[in-house]
Amino acid sequence: MTNKYVAYTAVILYSLLIIVPLWLALDRLIWVAGFDILGWIGSLDENFISQGVLEFTIIQATLSVILTLAIGIPIAWQLGRYNWPFQSLIKSLLTMPFVMPSIVAAMGFMSIIGENGLDIRSDRSTWFATLIIAHAWFNLSLVIRFCEPVLSTLDPHMEEQLRLLPSGKTMWGRLRHLWIPLLMPSIVAAACMTFVFSFTSFALVEWITLGENTLESMMADIGSSAGIKGVMVSKNEVILGASIIQFTILLLSLWLMSWLQQRRQNLLPIASENIVKTNNKKGWFIVLPAIIFAILPLLAVLISSFRIRETDASGSRQYWSTEGWEYAFTATNSLPSAWDALQNSLGYALITLAVALPLGWMLAQTIRDLEQVKPRLARMLDVFTMLPFAVSSVMIGLGVMLGMIRINAEFFYSFWLTPVIAHVMITTPFVVRIILPALRSLDPTFDDCARTLGMSKTKRFFLIKIPMLRGSLLISSIFILAMSMGEFGASWVVTRNSDWTTLPIIIDSIRAIPYNNPMTVPAANAVSSVLMIIALVLFVSTEKFRPKRDGGMF
Amino acid sequence: MLECENLAKSFEKDLFGGFNLKLNPGEIVAITGPSGCGKTTLLRCICGLEELDSGKIILSGNDITAIAAEERGIGLIFQKPVLYPHLNVEGNLKLASKHGDIAAALSEVNLTGFETRNIGTLSGGEGQRVSLARALLAKPSVLLLDEPFSSLDVELSDKLVNDVRAILKERNCPAILVTHNRNIADSFADSVISLK
Repeated sequence: MTNKYVAYTAVILYSLLIIVPLWLALDRLIWVAGFDILGWIGSLDENFISQGVLEFTIIQATLSVILTLAIGIPIAWQLGRYNWPFQSLIKSLLTMPFVMPSIVAAMGFMSIIGENGLDIRSDRSTWFATLIIAHAWFNLSLVIRFCEPVLSTLDPHMEEQLRLLPSGKTMWGRLRHLWIPLLMPSIVAAACMTFVFSFTSFALVEWITLGENTLESMMADIGSSAGIKGVMVSKNEVILGASIIQFTILLLSLWLMSWLQQRRQNLLPIASENIVKTNNKKGWFIVLPAIIFAILPLLAVLISSFRIRETDASGSRQYWSTEGWEYAFTATNSLPSAWDALQNSLGYALITLAVALPLGWMLAQTIRDLEQVKPRLARMLDVFTMLPFAVSSVMIGLGVMLGMIRINAEFFYSFWLTPVIAHVMITTPFVVRIILPALRSLDPTFDDCARTLGMSKTKRFFLIKIPMLRGSLLISSIFILAMSMGEFGASWVVTRNSDWTTLPIIIDSIRAIPYNNPMTVPAANAVSSVLMIIALVLFVSTEKFRPKRDGGMF
Repeated sequence: MLECENLAKSFEKDLFGGFNLKLNPGEIVAITGPSGCGKTTLLRCICGLEELDSGKIILSGNDITAIAAEERGIGLIFQKPVLYPHLNVEGNLKLASKHGDIAAALSEVNLTGFETRNIGTLSGGEGQRVSLARALLAKPSVLLLDEPFSSLDVELSDKLVNDVRAILKERNCPAILVTHNRNIADSFADSVISLK
């Protein structure tokens, strides 16, 4: 081990910041509701707040997976198998939705189906279909990122050989004997992730549906009145029951995905990177609509921010104006300005970066060091750092809120940095997952060689290690900034003070202003546009550092 | 100059035990032996990258057995050139000596004008020459070479063997070469030790 103090510091800090709040929250909820696991789960069906929520959550998540795969696989096939002009630009456009904050996606789809757009949201079948389409839009990049590298780098001799064998004479035969077995781990892994994201979807459900709830949005709605002894005890039971179900389903999905990812990695080494691909003009019938699909909600956000719709007794009229932007960036009695929200978001993101990056890096380094001397302990720590993945952002928000109330309620309501705790909890596991593979692939002879050149530990750290990990560190940093700035679920639960308002929260607050105010939609979309541009800039800057064949979600 | 007294090391099996060596200034010794006999581990122990089970290493009269690799002043050239991809040739050389004469070091290994070359554009032989230039820039008391010629084709390997030997002799730098190729050992070293 390089430094046991680094290891101890990392594990203690991680436990304090990430595990303790969740533990305290659980303790608080059980203190109110009593310990009865079956009773908590049973309460989901007995309570009018939660009746039918689990079914709705599962049905919409399942349909979202089916639609995402139906759209994503043909696109991945086209991108992987054929040569396209501006290939990396097309890939960036198609994978961009995944990095968009969910609230921006919600605003985009609302602009299309809401009052200022096609005005078809009031129909249940319309909003339900829109929710499924929005989830497919959001998760499309997962299918592309998981499947496209397998398709694009597979040695063409494998298919050519199969064509000459009886079982590979037909397209179906080749699909059955080559492509489906090869792609299946990637497809199922992408399906698992899509299921997880759709299952825990909050902003899209909150805004696109008319009052329907998933487990996640229900917990967010009722969470604020939980944890008070003797008050609305049933809500605590519902939260505990929903958390257990959600945690179990997420854990199972993540375990399945991790297992499939390993199988997928075993398939990838057979690939070759020097493949001559042909053009496919007919493929534009798939790729072009896909590009339009990917950018349409984002364009809708931007355009709607300049479109004002006024309604009075004589009817409604629409005109172009920057008034929505002016409204958003001016403070009112009830809302801070978008400038304040932007400052808060930037502040929270930078502080999150300052904590999560070193913490995640130290944890990754500890796991890497332990792998060489105590592999079992390394595996345990690895799983420990992944635990927050199985806890949704709303659950994390509730954990922070209830955990801090358990320690000191007054302090919680006045501590500006409270949302940072949630953001650190959400981002640190991602940092570990990005940096750990980079540490694993770092050839130890680089360090050995530097030692034989007489370089001290500090010199080796600054001159060798940091530059060699530069790409992963930059991707992690940008990821932290983007995730923190776009984070909605946990912030929505935790924000108890208008001084803490972030960009996603102010979008939600502005959009909640009654529609008779003509600035509601354009102002919310103006702030969404700002958040969208920030996410885009951050996304484009990571693309340069992404390994060609990483294929994963990050 | 360098004395190895009763060096012993074992992992899952005994690699070497009771190994003794006396190396004088300017002397070049080759150690040969079959794969897995512990040649590379022996070099790693001498330069401090691995710990010995027992034995003593004395350099210029000082016991360096417990000193960290970076403090020993012993250079090592690996089997495949270890060049840092985030730095160009000059950057790699500067890791050994910030104010050293880079141009002269490159000229010594017949790579004049390679300062700004990207590491990825170097051939195997060029990479190994850069490694040698860098190792020599650090002014090592002893240079260890871990089969640096094995990944090169015969013609290039022969040329590099002669060039490196000439440079080491000119600098009066003692060296230990580890190789499984008896012909290379004979043409490079003054004496050959066989490890079993």
